[in-house]
Order: sequence, then structure tokens, then C-alpha cells
Amino acid sequence: MNRDGLDLTAALRLLSQAGCPNPMQSGEDETRQLQMLIDTLCDLSSHDGLTGLVNATFFRSILARELDRVARTGRPCALLSLDLDHFKAINDTHGHPVGDLVLRHVARSLQGLMRSMDTAARTGGEEFAVILPECTPSEAIRAAQRLHQAISPITLSIDRVAITVTASAGLAWTDGRSVPDAAQFVAETDHELYRAKRLGRRRLCHPLLPLSHVLPEERASLLAPLPEDKYGI
Amino acid sequence: MESERRARRVAIVSGKGGVGKTMVAANLAAALAKTGHSVLVVDSDLGLANLDVMLGVQPSYTLHDVLHGACALKDALVRVPVCTRGVASTEEASPVDGFDILPGGSGIRDATTLTASAREDLKTLLHELGSRYEFLLCDAGAGIGEVVLFFAQIADDIVVVVTPEPTSLTDAYATIKVLARECGRTDVHVIVNLVAGATPEKAGGAVVSHLRQVASRFLLSDGTTLVRIHLLGVIPSDPAVPRAIARQQLLESAAPTAPATQAIALLADHLFDVATTPLPQS
Repeated sequence: MNRDGLDLTAALRLLSQAGCPNPMQSGEDETRQLQMLIDTLCDLSSHDGLTGLVNATFFRSILARELDRVARTGRPCALLSLDLDHFKAINDTHGHPVGDLVLRHVARSLQGLMRSMDTAARTGGEEFAVILPECTPSEAIRAAQRLHQAISPITLSIDRVAITVTASAGLAWTDGRSVPDAAQFVAETDHELYRAKRLGRRRLCHPLLPLSHVLPEERASLLAPLPEDKYGI
Repeated sequence: MESERRARRVAIVSGKGGVGKTMVAANLAAALAKTGHSVLVVDSDLGLANLDVMLGVQPSYTLHDVLHGACALKDALVRVPVCTRGVASTEEASPVDGFDILPGGSGIRDATTLTASAREDLKTLLHELGSRYEFLLCDAGAGIGEVVLFFAQIADDIVVVVTPEPTSLTDAYATIKVLARECGRTDVHVIVNLVAGATPEKAGGAVVSHLRQVASRFLLSDGTTLVRIHLLGVIPSDPAVPRAIARQQLLESAAPTAPATQAIALLADHLFDVATTPLPQS
């Protein structure tokens, strides 16, 4: 217990149990060491241990803050939601360590393509979200397409076994004039994500896509061989 | 112990409007009634119902009134007599028995969504009606909205009405896809309406085999959905149909020997065959 009443020993023991290196071994003065401890704890409470991305709780507060900014400045913002398709099957077939590798690979791919102002989060087991500030709808669609294509499909070779993973994605945005609250914004994005799932997965859906249940390739196939004599039109 | 009698519930859907869904429902009911079956047509388009208009009846109450407790169920049912006419036009039209309709509401704005309690009320109502008839034909609205999906979900058989036009074909396919993906309905019966040409049977068959090919190519691609598309029948393009509709008459009364009337009689036989196959245990 130090003079401010903080039980440093207990905090360090918790960190050690969580597998974290001791931030207080560098011979710095006590204030500096405390700051390092606080930084480590903040990082642990706001980030996902497996992927290093922002965790769901911190994501919600960043999103709320971002939407406050949108309301204040009238600048646009987009939100992308990504969900790995049939991820449970990967865990069931290849084991959780392989599933974890896939999740880390996805996180790295997203981080590699993001701008510095974007925030990527792991919002659930195999769910990810990316906040894209200052994006007009067309910019958001292009960014979302790039991010989605980076992780869908991905093929990892693990013990000479090729594992292919795809993702479904939903995108929504606000133009800065009407600003949804965070829950609403997430629901709008999820709505598009479910649409992508319904349409057969491994695709990105957004509000500008026609509300059709028929994919372009299905439409082409339905309408291509329609000779007049065949159908008696 | 005698098992409880229950009507075969048939949902008639199309995706696209204006393909003849209501015409098919009304005339199919007449054809079934003519061969001795008891039939109720439920106008399941809760927003823009028009079965009553097509049949020239003026209902006092609608399905909406029943659901809202504004009238008793029996007060909303309307009897539609089926008249048969001999070949000689001078012969007196003789009414055989008819069928009943339960009119829907027209212009009701909140009819595109169903609350949980409305679903339960409808289920109870259809269960009650099911004990009185052999067939419940549900003439669902256009589109693939919540109400259409509800009637498709509770139906024993799904009949999709399609015409050989590209727009109808695309919408029918979308309907089949959504019914398979969202309601797990992987057996659908297709009626191809408004088929022109000298060999409508052949042309109608080609439409269905085309739908089958596209469905097997795309709906099987995610490894989850095998859709079986059965051809229930083909109705030729026939000038007697628009004439009968304009007069608000059944084909059986207006043009008993017309090709479309005969085709629908054949359809009714096929539907009866489908209905006599046992339902899955679920």
C-alpha cells in the first residue's frame, strides 16, 4: 500500500495473473511507475487481449463520442460491421487456437488498411466494427469495400491445411444532418449486415444497394436465356 | 379416436402484383367447390384486398373487423355461389353449391406489419376456420412483406403464381428464395399464368424448369437450401379471363368452356392430389 492508499502489490499480482509484464520494473521514480501502471490498466480495460483491437465497451464510448462530434460539427461519419461467416465451424473443426489465429489475422488486415482516424474494434466473438469518421457515403462505401475485401476471403495455411474464411459486412452512415444515437447507428449497420447474411453471406451491404432479394448474378441467369419462342411471350 | 379435421391451408403468393393471383384463387376455389369440396378463400392482403371486388360481392365486414372484435366470424363470411351454365346459352344457369370468402380490408395503412398478438389472433381464427372446410386458400398480397411471410409460414402448401414476363419471373424467384431462406419452405408449387402461344403447357413447363435451374445453381451454392419447385399447372392467355374480371364473374359462370377455365379445373385436380399427400410430421 503506498501513501495514496493504492494497493500496488495486489494490482501487480492481478496483472501477473493476467499474463502481463510488470510495468514497474524499470527503476523509474514512483510517479512515473504509477503512470505506467495506470496506462497498462487502461489499455487492458479498453482493448481486446487477443487481437489488440478496441474492445466492445470502449468501442461504444468512442462511437458515442464520435456521434457527439458529428452532431456538433455536422460532419459525416460511417460505421462498418463485419462478421466472419461460419466461424464456429472453424473452431469446431480445427480447434480454438486456429480460430484465434484467424481472428488475429483479421485484426491485422483491418489495422493495415485503416486511416489513423479510424477505429477498429472486436465487438464480439467473431464480430468486428470499424468507425470511419469524415467519410461521405461514396468514400465510406469505397473504404468498406477495401476493408471487406481484405478479409473476405482470407486463406491461411496452418499445418499444411488451407483454411478459407469469408465475412459478411454491413455499412451505414450519417451525413451529419440527422444524427442517430449510438444504439440506433449500430442497429442500422446490423440491419445491413443481416441483409448480407440473408443474401448468401461473404458480401457487403449498404443502404444504397437496391432492396432486392435477387443478386445481380441470379438476375442475369434468370433473364439471360429468355428467347421468345421458348416462353411463348 | 377420430383425429381432428383440419383444412389444407394453401398460401397463394407471387411477389409481383398483377400476375393473376386473386383470379387464380377465386377460380381455383370455384373449381374445387364444383367437384364437391368445401373451400374458404381468405383475402390475406390486409392492406389492399380486392377479392370481393373481383367476385362482385359487397361485404359488410372484413377480416380486420373480425380481428378487432367488431363482428362475429360468421358475419364476415360471404357465400359465393358457383353457377354452371350448359353449352347452349339459352339454358338457365344452375347454381351448384359455392364457396365462402373472408374479405380483407382495403386501404388499411397499418396492415404491412403484424404485432405478436395479431399473429396469435390470426392463428386462432385460421384454426377455428380449419375445422369447417377442406381447403383454406389464402390469397396473399404482392411483395414479400411480413404479412405474406406469415401466411406462407402457417400454410401447408405454397403456390407461387408467375407469368413468363421477366419481372414476374424475377419476383417469383425472389419470393421462393426468401421463403426458403427465412421460413424454411423448400417445397413450392408454381402456377404459370398468362402463357401465350400454341403450346402453353410446354412453354409453362420451360418457365418452371428455368426457375429450377437457377434455384439449384444459386440457392444450393451456400450448401444449405435445396428448393424443390413443382409445376402445379399452366393457365393459357385467354381473352375470356379479362372479360370475366370486367364483369366481376367467375370463369365458371362467364366462360365455362374457355381454355383458361379448363386449365384451372385441371389445376384444382392437381391441387387436390397435392393435398391428399400426407403432411410432414412437423
